[in-house]
Amino acid sequence: MNGALLILKKEFMELSKDRKTLFFTFVMPLILYPLIFFMMSRLGRNDAASRAGRPSRVCVTDPSQVFSPVLRDAPGAFTVVPRPPGDLRQAIRDQKLELSLEVDPAGAEKLARNQSLDMRVLYDNSDESSKLALDRFKSQLRRQESLWVQARLKSLGASPQLALPVKLETVEAGDMGLFLGKLVGSFLPYLLMIMMYAGAMQHGIYATAGEKERGTLLSLLATSLPRTQIIIGKLLYIFSIGILSALINLLSMAFSVGRLMASNGAADAPAQAAVTGIAALATPSALGLTFLLMIPLGLFFANFILLGGIQARNTLEASTALTPGIFVVVLLGVFSMAPGIEKMVWLPYVPVLNVSLAIRKLFSQQGNGFEYLVALVMTVVLAGLMTWISTRMLNRESAIFRV
Amino acid sequence: MISLTDLHKAFLVKDKRTRAKRRIEAVRGITLEVRPGEIYGLLGPNGAGKSTTLRMIAGLMRPDRGRIEVCGVDTVRRPEQARALVGYLSTDLSVYNRFTPRELLKLFGEFQGVEARVAERRGMSLLEELGLAEFADVRMEGFSGGQKQKVSIARALLHDPKVVIFDEPTTGLDVLTAKTVLDLLRVMKGEGRTVVVSTHVMPMVEAVCDRVGIIFDGVLHGDAPPHVILERWGVATLDEVFFKLADGELR
Repeated sequence: MNGALLILKKEFMELSKDRKTLFFTFVMPLILYPLIFFMMSRLGRNDAASRAGRPSRVCVTDPSQVFSPVLRDAPGAFTVVPRPPGDLRQAIRDQKLELSLEVDPAGAEKLARNQSLDMRVLYDNSDESSKLALDRFKSQLRRQESLWVQARLKSLGASPQLALPVKLETVEAGDMGLFLGKLVGSFLPYLLMIMMYAGAMQHGIYATAGEKERGTLLSLLATSLPRTQIIIGKLLYIFSIGILSALINLLSMAFSVGRLMASNGAADAPAQAAVTGIAALATPSALGLTFLLMIPLGLFFANFILLGGIQARNTLEASTALTPGIFVVVLLGVFSMAPGIEKMVWLPYVPVLNVSLAIRKLFSQQGNGFEYLVALVMTVVLAGLMTWISTRMLNRESAIFRV
Repeated sequence: MISLTDLHKAFLVKDKRTRAKRRIEAVRGITLEVRPGEIYGLLGPNGAGKSTTLRMIAGLMRPDRGRIEVCGVDTVRRPEQARALVGYLSTDLSVYNRFTPRELLKLFGEFQGVEARVAERRGMSLLEELGLAEFADVRMEGFSGGQKQKVSIARALLHDPKVVIFDEPTTGLDVLTAKTVLDLLRVMKGEGRTVVVSTHVMPMVEAVCDRVGIIFDGVLHGDAPPHVILERWGVATLDEVFFKLADGELR
């Protein structure tokens, strides 16, 4: 094993000499995620603030003046604008206004006769400002409808309470931690897989097909180190890079999300609850058990990369062979994010996917000890089997001397 | 001491057009012996089987048939022990560019089980001997082919091997660097090491080799001192032997 550790040391020494690769592998994710999340949050907040602080522009066609005074009475929420020339739909799409309202010409008359009056609203569902205008309008309409109904009931000598047969109180049974757990659990396995594979792939290619291409592999094989240990050393290197990449990316992402939540939390209570929820998620047991699953999974991916790298004649061939693996990992990840997969009874027995399921359940507080154990044992066996295949196949001269 | 007995090695190659696999006999029944303090030159055209033979002696490849012993160690049964006795230099002028020569030699010292202090001392001494001591702490990215070859030689000799195998050690080198390599071969001979070199450079064979083996189509056709080869072929220089070989006269 000492030989494998020496190879691992050599690979990391080589990596440490390349500052650019070091930066892009280990430092960039630490900068990138906070930067992206900060910018997204900043832009989102600015946009939301500008929308919230600006009254929605509404064009009203209301010959009987039954509803337009209501809108004018809410100057903070609405600005009644004249009808723009041309097509109204296009005007909304062009963001010249957010909403167009057409009220029944006989509205006042119908209202006086206690009949229903018709209204037609035109808005753009793809535009946030237009959707906000619709929400504001509906809220204003509900209030006005309630007033009209109460007035009608009063005129009939009935209690205004008749308009409110039910007073609904909604209570959230879950908590923010559980909600976030389910959310994180659905995409965490995907992120872990993609980061472990993609993070290790280029380093793996450099250490395998790259050594062949640069002509340095022979000098390594000519030493008295057993060939199996050289292969295991390379495998350990690819595995370590995969795990490190995944951890660094996740840490950076968790830190960024935490900061984002905390900054929002200062403004509103739900976000504060989210921070508490995230803190509750990061229990040592959930993280520890996830990490335990990552080890054999990372080893499985590392073996895959090692096999592709050593069998290839050069780095281009290795890249071509290994890149489709990213799509496979993405597909597996997307599948693991699909709703309802935890109900599939056969899934705990499907390698790799059962890891996704186990992590998903760990974070959604639905952890099943048996399923976790099955996933762990299967992945360990799979990783062991792959390591055995790798060392057997790569010990072949046809693989090493394939140029 | 190197001893090869009835060595055979074949490769399967795929015909791109017919997709059929073909068996190429790279080495066919080579038997030879090289003694300590002797420089043996393997001579032959490209694809004759020189590198395959050297790789088998260095324990990098396994023969399909036959036996190889390096200082009494069977390279098939005990490849690690055999490799510990061999200093192998391949045809590639390649080194780990990101390292300095000192770092590279220290690392390979560890690979070969040489104590760090000894590896440092011996590595520096070899670099001095090869005229590269002043570049010991410079990254090898900008090194010339000759400088890289010198570092590779130091790397191959770091663990003080009893057997030295150099595969075309002067190919791609300028005259001065080639002379340094030849001088080093003579020093190694003087130190009693067993040396095998393969080359295309005929003057080098004539200048340093005690015996020459002419390899063609995987078969060893001659195994004698250079002057005996010249007499046997009735030519003045080994270059002419080589031309005859290339013309297919041997067959």
